[in-house]
Amino acid sequence: MTQPVTDRLERWLGKILGWGALTSTGLLASGLLLQLFGVTPGVASALTHAGLVILIATPVARVVASVVEYTLVRDWLFMTLTTVVLIILLGSLAVSLNLRL
Amino acid sequence: MIPEISPLLTLVLVLAGTAAGMVGALLGLGGGVFLVPFLVLVLHLPMRLAVGISLTTVIATSSVVTSNRMGRSLVNLRLGMVLEVATTAGGLTGGIAAAMLSAGTLQRLFGIMAVASSLAMLTRLERRNVILDPGADPGRLGGRYDEAESGAVVSYRVRRVPLAMAVSFVAGSVSSLLGVGGGILKVPALNAWCGVPLRAAAATSAFMIGVTATAGAVIYYGRGEIIPWMAASTVLGVLAGSRAGIVMGARATAKWLKLLLAAILLGVGVLMLARLQ
Repeated sequence: MTQPVTDRLERWLGKILGWGALTSTGLLASGLLLQLFGVTPGVASALTHAGLVILIATPVARVVASVVEYTLVRDWLFMTLTTVVLIILLGSLAVSLNLRL
Repeated sequence: MIPEISPLLTLVLVLAGTAAGMVGALLGLGGGVFLVPFLVLVLHLPMRLAVGISLTTVIATSSVVTSNRMGRSLVNLRLGMVLEVATTAGGLTGGIAAAMLSAGTLQRLFGIMAVASSLAMLTRLERRNVILDPGADPGRLGGRYDEAESGAVVSYRVRRVPLAMAVSFVAGSVSSLLGVGGGILKVPALNAWCGVPLRAAAATSAFMIGVTATAGAVIYYGRGEIIPWMAASTVLGVLAGSRAGIVMGARATAKWLKLLLAAILLGVGVLMLARLQ
C-alpha cells in the first residue's frame, strides 16, 4: 500500500530536482558568458546570483514537496521528520540573514 | 585575494569541476573531496572560499544525480529522510562553527577526515550486505532494488539506526566545515556498520547531500563567501562531469568502486596534511 505513494513522491522529487538544476544551470551559464564577453555587468551579475539562489532553493523545494506529500497521505511520522528538516533549513537562513546585518 | 574573472581561470575551474563531478557521481561523494584540495593546493584559494564553491557543486550534483536515479528504488527515500534530520542539524552547526575556526584547522580536519575514511573503506573491501532472496522482509527502513551485477532483485535491512544518525550529524557538520558532501563519512558507515549495500548507500547519500549542503551554503552565501562567477564555472563543469560519471557508474563493479574511493581519499588526505596554507 505504501509502494504507490513512494513512487509518486519519487517522481515529484525527481522532477523538482531536475527542473531546479536545469533552470539554475541555464542562468549560471548565461550569466557567466555575459560576464566573460558581454558589456552588461549588472545584468550578468544578477543572472549568476539568480542561478545560485535557485540552485540553493531546489533542495528546499524538495523538502517542502515531501512535507506536502506526507501530509496528503497522512504519514504523520514522516511529515514530522521532513518538517523538522525544513525548520532547520529556515534556521540556517535566519543565521545567514543575521550575519549580514 | 579573490582572483579577477578571466577566460583562462574560468576554463581551469570548468575542467576541475568536470573531473570532480565525474568521480563524485561514480562514488556518491559530490566531488567536493577532490575539488576543495585542488582549489586550495593548486589555485591557492582561501579555504573558506573553496568550501563555498564546493558546497554549491555538491548541491548541483545531488540534484542532477538524484533526478536521474529516481524511480529505480536505489535511493532509499525513507532512510534518507530520517537521516536528513541529523545531517541538516549538523550542517547548520558546522556552518556556524566554520566562522570560529582558522583556515589551517579546517585544512587539518579535512586531511584527517579523508585518511580515516580511506582506512575504514580498505578494511571492508569484500563485504556484501544484500540478501539474495527477493521475498525476504527488508523491515521498516530497509529496501530492495534490481542489482545489475547479479541480475537479481536484492533486499537489505538497515541496522543500528541511532549510529547512522550520529554519523549523519557528524557528516553534516563536516559538510559545512569542509565543503564535502559528507558522503565520504556516510557511505562507508552505512555500508560497513548499518547493512546498506554500497550502491544503495551511495545513491541515498547523493540524495541527502543536496539538502545537507544547503544548510551550510545558505550561511556561506549570506557571508559573501560564495564567489558567483567561480561557483558558476565550477558548477557547470561538475554537471558535465557527473553526466559522464553516471554512464560509467552503470558499468563499474562494487569492489572496483571501493578501491578507487579508498585510493583517492588516502592521497587527498595526505596532501592536505602535508601542505598547510
